[in-house]
Amino acid sequence: MKNINKSMKILTMFLLAAPLIMVSFGLASAKETATDNYKLYCVQCHGTKGTGKGINAPFLSVAPRNHTSAKDMGELSDDNVFKAIKSGGGAVGKSTQMPSWGAVMTDDEIHDMVKRLRVMCKCEGKK
Amino acid sequence: MKKTFFIYCLSLMVFIAVPSWAADGKALVKSNKCGSCHKMQGPAVKTIAEVLKRKAPDLFYAGSKFNKDWLVKYIQSPTVIRPGGVVYTNNIKLNGDQDEPANLLKCASKLSAGDAAAVGDYLMSLKDATMKVGVFKKAKIKKAMARRVMMKGEACNACHSFPKRGGGVSCPTFEGIGSRLNPDWMYSFVNHPQKWDPKVWMAKRDLDDATLQLIVNFLSSMK
Repeated sequence: MKNINKSMKILTMFLLAAPLIMVSFGLASAKETATDNYKLYCVQCHGTKGTGKGINAPFLSVAPRNHTSAKDMGELSDDNVFKAIKSGGGAVGKSTQMPSWGAVMTDDEIHDMVKRLRVMCKCEGKK
Repeated sequence: MKKTFFIYCLSLMVFIAVPSWAADGKALVKSNKCGSCHKMQGPAVKTIAEVLKRKAPDLFYAGSKFNKDWLVKYIQSPTVIRPGGVVYTNNIKLNGDQDEPANLLKCASKLSAGDAAAVGDYLMSLKDATMKVGVFKKAKIKKAMARRVMMKGEACNACHSFPKRGGGVSCPTFEGIGSRLNPDWMYSFVNHPQKWDPKVWMAKRDLDDATLQLIVNFLSSMK
């Protein structure tokens, strides 16, 4: 009985320490802000102002979406925007020039990005 | 006797000098302060905040990434490979409401042929032990098909510029990429960019081996 109690104590300590150890060794990466994710991944096409005028925009056959347009963004549901970011434009019947960012952003980060886009367009998603 | 002694001394000098030439590359990298811009030791950075501080591409796996001949020429006379800058988002100016790259910055390296060869030897010794070699299979491909896959399907031209056809500027140009990069590394990077650079702004695609071979064969042909 004494040995079982000792083992339980060691197991509990390990479980409590595990997240700390994982973060220390870089096994679990810290959550990025939507502002930083937008700056690194989205700005190249959607632009620093989010108006679709990024440095790559002149070379695209389909103009990147203007994230500040309440009219354009209001036509999309939050689920639709989430899916486009996670799985790419092709997944929602739009241009494949919009790639899937599911490998670089977590679902949680993509949800934050959808919220950020709603702030940018000052609009709500289509219900 | 004098002649024999002279030849002996000369031989000894060559014997001593050869190992020091071989070791020079690392010392030159240090004395030229390459590490002030390039990351010379892994692992790769894992946060966007760290990426935004990057001044030049990581070199700690240069021996896996580059072709030596190209590398030795490049460090003698660098050219612009990333038209949008090393981290494009740090290098944007506004022209009206349109974003444009602000400055075309080149690497400051200007080594002599001898020093470049020594540095090239050293950089080529910096390999990633986990990269599979011999994965790329050189093959005769239909370039029109490769172009269709890359420009219509995967839209590589959204961010990369194709020779004579142009394209985006946020990522390295494809001009001369076949001379520049090791095809095994290209295969690995296209397959999983985040393995090399966890926060790189190139999306991961789910490409099968046949498509990867087609793309890398096409890229390798762009000399």
